Amino acid sequence: MAAWVKGGATDADSAVDAAATLLAAARTPLVAGLCAELSAVRAAYHLADAIGATVDPAAGQSLYAELGSLSRTGAMLTTPAETTGRADAILIVGNAPWDRPIVQEIAESAPTRGRAAGTERTLLSLGGPRNGATRHVAYPAEAGGLAVSVAHLRAYLKGHLAGETAYGDLARRLAAAQYGVVLYDAAELGELGVEMLQGMVKDLNEVTRFFTLPVSDPYQGRALLQLAAWTTGQAPRVGFGRHVPEHDPWRFDGARQIAAGEVDAALWLASLPAPRPDWLGTLPAIAIVGEGSPEATGDAAEIVIAVGVPGESAGGALWNDRRATITYAPPIGQPAELTAAGVLGAIQDRLVQKKAASC
Amino acid sequence: MSTLTLRQEPPERLDFLHVTPLSLSGLSEAEAARLPVGTSRRGLTLGDCFTIALDKSEDLVIEGGSSRLDRVGASLDGGTIRVVGDVGQRLGAGMRSGSVTVTGSAGPFAASGATGGTITIEGDAGDHAGGAVYAAKAGLDGATLIIKGAAGDHLGDRMRRGLILVGTAGAHAGSRMIAGTIAAGSVGDHPGFGMRRGTLLTGGVGTLTPSFVATGTHDLVFLRLLARSLRPLSPAHADLAAGALTRYSGDLATLGKGELWVSAA
Repeated sequence: MAAWVKGGATDADSAVDAAATLLAAARTPLVAGLCAELSAVRAAYHLADAIGATVDPAAGQSLYAELGSLSRTGAMLTTPAETTGRADAILIVGNAPWDRPIVQEIAESAPTRGRAAGTERTLLSLGGPRNGATRHVAYPAEAGGLAVSVAHLRAYLKGHLAGETAYGDLARRLAAAQYGVVLYDAAELGELGVEMLQGMVKDLNEVTRFFTLPVSDPYQGRALLQLAAWTTGQAPRVGFGRHVPEHDPWRFDGARQIAAGEVDAALWLASLPAPRPDWLGTLPAIAIVGEGSPEATGDAAEIVIAVGVPGESAGGALWNDRRATITYAPPIGQPAELTAAGVLGAIQDRLVQKKAASC
Repeated sequence: MSTLTLRQEPPERLDFLHVTPLSLSGLSEAEAARLPVGTSRRGLTLGDCFTIALDKSEDLVIEGGSSRLDRVGASLDGGTIRVVGDVGQRLGAGMRSGSVTVTGSAGPFAASGATGGTITIEGDAGDHAGGAVYAAKAGLDGATLIIKGAAGDHLGDRMRRGLILVGTAGAHAGSRMIAGTIAAGSVGDHPGFGMRRGTLLTGGVGTLTPSFVATGTHDLVFLRLLARSLRPLSPAHADLAAGALTRYSGDLATLGKGELWVSAA
């Protein structure tokens, strides 16, 4: 079964019609999630434009931790390939990056290109796990958190603090690197921490070569960000209420809007796995979710439509973490009957038909 | 004195960027009623939400506020606005001169980018009061912001110039501060995180970041001048500046030319 309306199984056409009716009556709708292939995300932005909705992706928190700093101070960035090929010192900040495959790849290789070629690679950890699974030198985080730890470390690097301390030792190791990279997760570090870290790396570039490699969020945020930029000229959190895409990360924060009672209907798009929002069952909502996902049931939302999962039962352009770009993921199984982009396009077509009929 | 009286809680957020004494002075009440203030496709106008009484004066009173009134007094360049009630985000943002008073509480980003004038919040202020909005280079930029209640986190974030007086403030007060002065009854954890220059004066403080270091107690002429300048605005804050203070220097992770003065009492 691919569609449900108010808990009852139905065909996709009826569900699309019900979704169009719900959105047409809404004053301040929200399009959220956007954890999907790019064609679906593009269709979601076009639908949001047509109905005057606000847009907030599941990757919002992670993206804005990065963008807040990037928009004001810039960033020193590198790629996974450059990191594995050139870096002789890698600093991993926090816990989150340790779950990524690139850590193992870094640990098992040595620099083969550039000024550090042929040297041994040193893996350093600030506030990370101390489980010994990967050989590294660990430095504990400050009680105040990762951002405070980075600030403390940067004070040593600038020479404003001195002494035989753990952070003093770490600062010396970083400054002695020929090509260093800091691996971090923006959502874990927070905007203040990211800006402090980027400032530290710029300081390090006064004496050596140093870059950052932020790990991508798991909800297609990096791909979405590029699409949002080429579609609206803005970062992802925008509102179309006044016929132009207005960008305001606070005003168009979906969770805030719902908590403040500012949203009267919502569309949740997640053809790929994403954490189910708690408002999905309480607000008049449409859920376009991957078939076989826990949300693909009649009780997940007022209207539920199950669609193909990109890379499994549908093809789609997705963020490729290894290559740090957007690539096409073909379906590996039997293609699904419905695609997210097709359903969103059908809802928009139905809205146009309803508007024409009412004139 | 012109008056706008809110009829009922607005059904959506309203944008008051273009509702100032100056912009209303050239309009009839019928013309003012047609000013667009809504933020949804419904195209709400000022007359849909407010009863309007105009007299072309430089004083505007908004009777009955709401946390959905955004950008009240934003880009104000003269005149006064008094809101009897609450307001939403970006109160007095980018304001150049004049005064804005709110008898209730304000949302986030109050006085962001304000270069002149006085903004007074008699209740509480949300996060980032006097702080920079997304992608902005600076927060408060020369204006005076007075918060009689409590401010949220990130008070004066990336503040560049001006003065903030506040009852109490949350965590990260004065974060990434470029310059200016903040005087507070107390502040939360990690004040001045990443601050380059500027002065934070407080009666009490939460946890300090390790990149701030104590530099002793001092009897400086600057503190007496600061107390004198604060007294007309707030005797309590002036007394704080005139009392015994411990000085901390930071944030040593950046320029390290900021100073945090904490009451030694």
